[in-house]
Amino acid sequence: MKFLFSKRIDFTELDDKDLVALAKENKAAFGELYERYLPKIYSYVYYRTGNVHDAEDLTAKVFFRALSHIDNFVEKGAPFQAWLYRIAHNLVANWHRDRSRRKIIALDDYVADSLKSEAPDRLTEESEERNQLLEAVRRLPEDRQQLLLLKFVEQMSNAEIGTIMGRTEGAIKSLYHRTLLALREDMNQMPPGELNRRQGGEEG
Amino acid sequence: MSTSADNQMRDLLDAITARLQRGEAIDPPVARSDDAQDELEEFVEVVGALHASLKPLSPNQEFAEDLRAELLDGRAGFFRRSRRMPARLSLAAILALFAGCVLLLLRRVFGSETAHDVPEEVVATPL
Repeated sequence: MKFLFSKRIDFTELDDKDLVALAKENKAAFGELYERYLPKIYSYVYYRTGNVHDAEDLTAKVFFRALSHIDNFVEKGAPFQAWLYRIAHNLVANWHRDRSRRKIIALDDYVADSLKSEAPDRLTEESEERNQLLEAVRRLPEDRQQLLLLKFVEQMSNAEIGTIMGRTEGAIKSLYHRTLLALREDMNQMPPGELNRRQGGEEG
Repeated sequence: MSTSADNQMRDLLDAITARLQRGEAIDPPVARSDDAQDELEEFVEVVGALHASLKPLSPNQEFAEDLRAELLDGRAGFFRRSRRMPARLSLAAILALFAGCVLLLLRRVFGSETAHDVPEEVVATPL
């Protein structure tokens, strides 16, 4: 009955579950979900792709896919947020697969290039260490990258991450430990000034 | 490293990260052995770097508004339409636009002189 009067509903006060129910009949309710999750999905996709153009393109695809499939969405354990991240994760995975098929330049060089030229304003003054760290993160397997982004960018708890990734809290803790081990080893192997050398080579 | 030491390290790292996420200061953590202590300090450095580097981002405002309009009203704004074009096509369009502007400008500057020159030559040509 309340759907009939949905124009009078203040969507900002509703939780995701109610909004999803409304969004099946009312696009304005989907608009509120869009406002809530756009920065989160964009951040996630940006860190996974490393450039603004593809981040915008894939973010748009995530929301179009969510809108077109929201009628079929039924909350069975995994909330709307988890569903949205899974869509994003799958689209990013496809994007990486497509890129690797028609790869012309090395991914690491591409990431370094795109970070130099296309990063959002607030990231333009990135330090060398930060670039090295982001490169190392992007060299990790997909599930580990996803874990780090959900933990640090989205500030999610192990339980929330577990819901999105379909694992237990204990499994997330172990994966986090293994991820830090791999990251530390990777960064220890990279000689100091490696990024400088690469950038100098490109410019010279 | 034994499984129990592994578990201790795993729990310590999880606790340190949770404190960082809450914006709390990290006291120097203590491990069971000197080796583990060295390892833990290296991990804390990595966790601190991740915390400092991986920050939430905001998308371009124009992109956000255009995408919202396209999703909810079905109309694509200029920003989204232009972003949909492949990079090569965008470059070609920009170059064509630039060349067109240059051509128009040249016509305006030199066009009148050429118009005067032609009749003089026509008159000078013997029939």
